[in-house]
Amino acid sequence: MTVLNITFQGQSADYKLQIDWNASDADVRRIAVELVRSGGARGLHVAHLRDDAFASFVVDRVRSANGEDRIYLRPKVPFGSAR
Amino acid sequence: MRIVVCGVGALGSTAVLFIRNLGAELRVVDFDRVETKNVAAQWFVKQSVGKNKAEAIRLQLANFYGGKAEAMTVKLVDNNAAQLLEGCDLAVDCFDNADSRLVLAEAARAKPVPLVHAALAADGTFGMIRWDERFAPDREDAEGQATCEGGEHLPLIGVVGATLARAIQDFMKSGARDDYFISLSGVMRTS
Repeated sequence: MTVLNITFQGQSADYKLQIDWNASDADVRRIAVELVRSGGARGLHVAHLRDDAFASFVVDRVRSANGEDRIYLRPKVPFGSAR
Repeated sequence: MRIVVCGVGALGSTAVLFIRNLGAELRVVDFDRVETKNVAAQWFVKQSVGKNKAEAIRLQLANFYGGKAEAMTVKLVDNNAAQLLEGCDLAVDCFDNADSRLVLAEAARAKPVPLVHAALAADGTFGMIRWDERFAPDREDAEGQATCEGGEHLPLIGVVGATLARAIQDFMKSGARDDYFISLSGVMRTS
């Protein structure tokens, strides 16, 4: 079991799913689109979400401190300070 | 221990506020000046507007807390990075762009000096603390993209800055190099 965390449109949700932790980034983005379309991830429901909604998002695979396999689908984080 | 904080905007200035009592000597590096809009999302007061950010941090620490910091009022680039890291036991990357992060990382690896990176999403929905051995900088979607400067993301900036301070504290205590993801649903230690 892997936990997929999606941060999108001011919401962040965890979703447990059967997915290979090493699934490709493209697969993770595609699965996330379907999840958000279906409302399967709590607080994230956009029925007509575009196929490329997560195209610029980053996929991170981490093992949490408690040993949980987690995949994060997150916006880019370029900023530490404003210019 | 001497810590150099590179970039003292939203994250860097907030982190300095939280590490001021750890007993480390602080050096802060920033070439930029405090603008009125920065007061909304960065640890600067109105009286600092117009001052260099590194100098403003030094003055605020001295005036409000009796603390000390060394202000380096220059831009960190290839030919001064090694000098800015000289004598430091930890470098903290709070820059706002991939190029500066890479210059700093290269200099820190060459010394070598341990380096921890902190970063925020432009829309204030995600933050990250990652040690250099596991870090690759994200590029902006478009150059000059708006950052978290309006003040509406201050709570998340505070959490990321405080988490960075905690990571620094743990490193000082035990040498731990813990990474964190900070999302709107909480803080997750990932290493």
